[in-house]
Amino acid sequence: MAEKPYDGGGAACGGEIVLTPTSDPNWLLLEEGFAPLREHEIESIFAISNGYVGTRASLEEDSRFSQPGAFLAGVFVEDPDSMLGPYLALLPGWPHLEIKVEGQPLSIEAGRLLYHRRMLDLRQGVLWREWRHEDPSGRVTRACFLRFASLSDRHALVQSVHLTAENYSGRVEILASPTFPGAEHRFSPAVATAVLHAGKTCIALAAGACAEPSAEATVIQSANPAAGVRRRWAWNARLGARLRLDRPVVVCTSREETHPLASAQTRLADILARGVDALARAHVDAWSRRWSVADIRIAGDAEAQRAIRFAAYHLIAAANPGDEHVSIGARALTGEAYHGHVFWDTESYMLPFYIFTDPATARALLMYRCNTLDAARRRAAARGYRGALYAWESADTGDDVTPEAAIAPDGRVVAILTGAHEQHVSADVAYAVWLYWRTTGDTGFMLEGGVDILVETARFWASRATIEADGRAHIRAVIGPDEYHEMIDDNAYTNCMARWNLLRAADAADLLAKECGAAWDERARRLALDDAERAEWRRIAAALAVGFDPETGIIEQFDGYAALEEIDVRAHAGCATPIDLCLGPERTRRSKAVKQADVVALSAFLWDEWPQSVHRANFDYYEPRTGHGSSLSPAIYALVAARLGLAEKFLEYFRQAAEIDLSNNMGNAAGGVHMAALGGLWQSVIFGVAGVRPREDGVALDPHLPDGWAEICFAIEWRRRLLRVTLAATEPHIRVGVEGAQELRLALVDGPSCVARPGASYSIGRDGATWGAWREAQ
Amino acid sequence: MAAIPTLLVPFDGQLRSRAALPVARGLAAMMGATVTLLHIGPQTISAAALVQRAGLAAEEAAGLIIDQATGAPARVVIREALARNAAFIILGRAGGEDELSRAAQSAVREVLLGAPCPVVLVPPGGGRDWALHQLILPHDGAPTSAAAFAPAAELAARAGAKLVILHAPPSDAERPTEPGSFAAPRYLDHPHQEWASWTREFLHRARCACPLIETGSLRLVLGHGEPGAAILDFLQRNGGDLVALAWHGRLEPARAQTMRQVVLGAPCPVIIFRVPPKD
Repeated sequence: MAEKPYDGGGAACGGEIVLTPTSDPNWLLLEEGFAPLREHEIESIFAISNGYVGTRASLEEDSRFSQPGAFLAGVFVEDPDSMLGPYLALLPGWPHLEIKVEGQPLSIEAGRLLYHRRMLDLRQGVLWREWRHEDPSGRVTRACFLRFASLSDRHALVQSVHLTAENYSGRVEILASPTFPGAEHRFSPAVATAVLHAGKTCIALAAGACAEPSAEATVIQSANPAAGVRRRWAWNARLGARLRLDRPVVVCTSREETHPLASAQTRLADILARGVDALARAHVDAWSRRWSVADIRIAGDAEAQRAIRFAAYHLIAAANPGDEHVSIGARALTGEAYHGHVFWDTESYMLPFYIFTDPATARALLMYRCNTLDAARRRAAARGYRGALYAWESADTGDDVTPEAAIAPDGRVVAILTGAHEQHVSADVAYAVWLYWRTTGDTGFMLEGGVDILVETARFWASRATIEADGRAHIRAVIGPDEYHEMIDDNAYTNCMARWNLLRAADAADLLAKECGAAWDERARRLALDDAERAEWRRIAAALAVGFDPETGIIEQFDGYAALEEIDVRAHAGCATPIDLCLGPERTRRSKAVKQADVVALSAFLWDEWPQSVHRANFDYYEPRTGHGSSLSPAIYALVAARLGLAEKFLEYFRQAAEIDLSNNMGNAAGGVHMAALGGLWQSVIFGVAGVRPREDGVALDPHLPDGWAEICFAIEWRRRLLRVTLAATEPHIRVGVEGAQELRLALVDGPSCVARPGASYSIGRDGATWGAWREAQ
Repeated sequence: MAAIPTLLVPFDGQLRSRAALPVARGLAAMMGATVTLLHIGPQTISAAALVQRAGLAAEEAAGLIIDQATGAPARVVIREALARNAAFIILGRAGGEDELSRAAQSAVREVLLGAPCPVVLVPPGGGRDWALHQLILPHDGAPTSAAAFAPAAELAARAGAKLVILHAPPSDAERPTEPGSFAAPRYLDHPHQEWASWTREFLHRARCACPLIETGSLRLVLGHGEPGAAILDFLQRNGGDLVALAWHGRLEPARAQTMRQVVLGAPCPVIIFRVPPKD
């Protein structure tokens, strides 16, 4: 082992990081002690991320129970041996540290754990860890850690360690990786760099270090090349001594930089010059700004409060408004599960959060779909259709990466049909484009590519649907959100979303022609879009078959569904396995058991298409037949239940959705948190409980506070206005503060409205079942 | 000096030893244990009669401790297992008879209820030699069934055998709520992705529960349908030399249905680890 001095033992970092954990327990997620069986879940749930880089909350010193990992958005690796397609590159954990006391590694697995607590500080986006440990020799060391992925500078990561020698004097060492296999390491005064490659991406890391008091700093080159290079800081600690090491780490990649190493070094030098504490303060300020719009305060239900903040935390942490070439994977940057693949989850479940709280991020996420439109065009063409068919699962290029087969846990090779046949994703993307445009008023985005999505997806549906002898347009052989029934005809969700897609594409062309004149003419010319095609879309939309029974108001989920075997899905509620495993795939297919909200999802997304009585009829019909075998389902049921005024049902489904990650006995979160469920949870409160509906002239509300929720406060953005809304249960009233430059119309759904001007607040009270009139508040 | 473990193989008119003996020998070879063949009768008999009653040729008796005791068979087995600090009791069972469900006159049932150590139930038939190549460990997601991980993994490790964890939760049972439970995933958003993650996590948890479990020798299989039927179906299709079951220690009519079904139908021995119920 070669060892050489290293000039990083006492470098100035601009002073100690002055951060303390948030004092309000409603902003903290706590895990006391150490439960090996839960460790992977904790690592996901407590992950830190900024949408560019995410890091699991693994123990710094590692253990055999740990699954450390860091992920970079958009950095995928092909694996020819995997049936599951490219995967998000797993970087070695940059926060890995080995702590040695008198030459012995400090390990949670050796000696006696005296105290251990991890705290995810949701408000500040900081992971805190406190650990007091007696090693096998009886020496007691207190270790306090913090780490964050900067939200103000997304390339920057920070780790800080405080060690206290509680009952001994002796030699204390900290050894830090990165020791990335195959990486090229360099050491200059105060900075260590590593350059490595993941797939086609070059990744550069530059790490600084500041020790207090000054430490002996060395670089250790192991004789074993696999062990790599490590940096070591050592102190001869006196009894009670407090030692500190701060490590700013900068990551840059060839995805965004021509010279990632040089960029990383420059950025790190800038951080060191300004001080790590300045970076920490900027990070906390950035979180504070995001929370000022994204927070939902729920008075009267602490568990719901914790769940909704947890959801918003991970949604904020998952996205990067500065990158238009990535989207959010099903587990974001918190775990390996789902390989970082992007599904309809992003547009249908997560995107509304960004549209209403951070439009710049929503725009960037939709630009990913603009930038992968050619892949969607190729996919449609390959199947003999016009327009664009988005991938069911996509990674960096937008090409479909859904496997055609997979090995089930019983050893069977099963065909995966979703890639080829679950096509509603194209309409889901179009839906998100329209919602973004009409909510933000960002017509520039439409001309930059948004309208291309609407047009090309409409073209796909126009060629995918076939007008048959009955005069109706049919879409055959698809899979809807209820994936228990494959290769079905005229799935209600698919057909209604396709119809909506066709009509909104035609509407968008009309609106843009009116609003943009020559700019639209140029775009329409490039899209080769003419009046005849728009008329054809409207004709096909009008002809699309939807099995609506006017007698009952029930929408048949697909052609033939009504004739399937009745099954008492509720009898299986709470069972150890999802219903399709209980029944087996064949019987499930022959039954009315529904995997997840399908027709009920239409109620959530296209509420205005039908009267409330239809939504109620379909909720009542499909709820007892839905097994909620997907984590996407409970939140959508919560949303619709709230809109229907079914407060108990809302709470039941809200809690079920909240427990998906936060429950401690399901193991669900081990591979990462469920981003769609978290987005759905947010929607269930904003669109369900508050009943927010964006309109062309403003925003309407339709509040349904459940029992126990005394008050909720939240903010939403609508066309550059910020509305701060309070819904109160006692002496029921609504208060809305308006910020921005222009007035808008505030309304209650089917109730009074007013013109609201910026800088003013408006309130409305309810007497019994009747709302009064909006008044400008004093 | 570490004691050499004892494997107790009782026999009398009801407790059959012929099928049990090869299994006992195989286990003894793995564990470095001594097999004690214990005759239980109303009165003591001569050594020659003892060997004759056991039905052993001279070479078959080599290496065995052959002993006898008098009294009610089940009570004697329990008493002797305690006195000899037996590692396992190995019992041959009658073919086609549900001895665990017979409330009375079943020594097997009584031994199971009172045994101070795991009990191996061996079906009739089987060859002269038995070796452990594949051990099947059914698991229903609850920590109770996971309690069999460690002893089963130790056996598999000693034998260099494959350990197959057969996850077979009862379809009508509620999700286990004990802390540390790990049932089949509640949500299968995209099954091909979910199963891969779940399998990885399951094996991780199994290794946490028992460091002896080696990745290479471990396989996770998901059973379909009712657990008992799923286990027997797996054995029929894939074979297995030993099934390891965790058991709460209750044999009232509605309880231990899976164990009864497996003991009755398994073509291989079944080892039963009794797990004390949690308070």
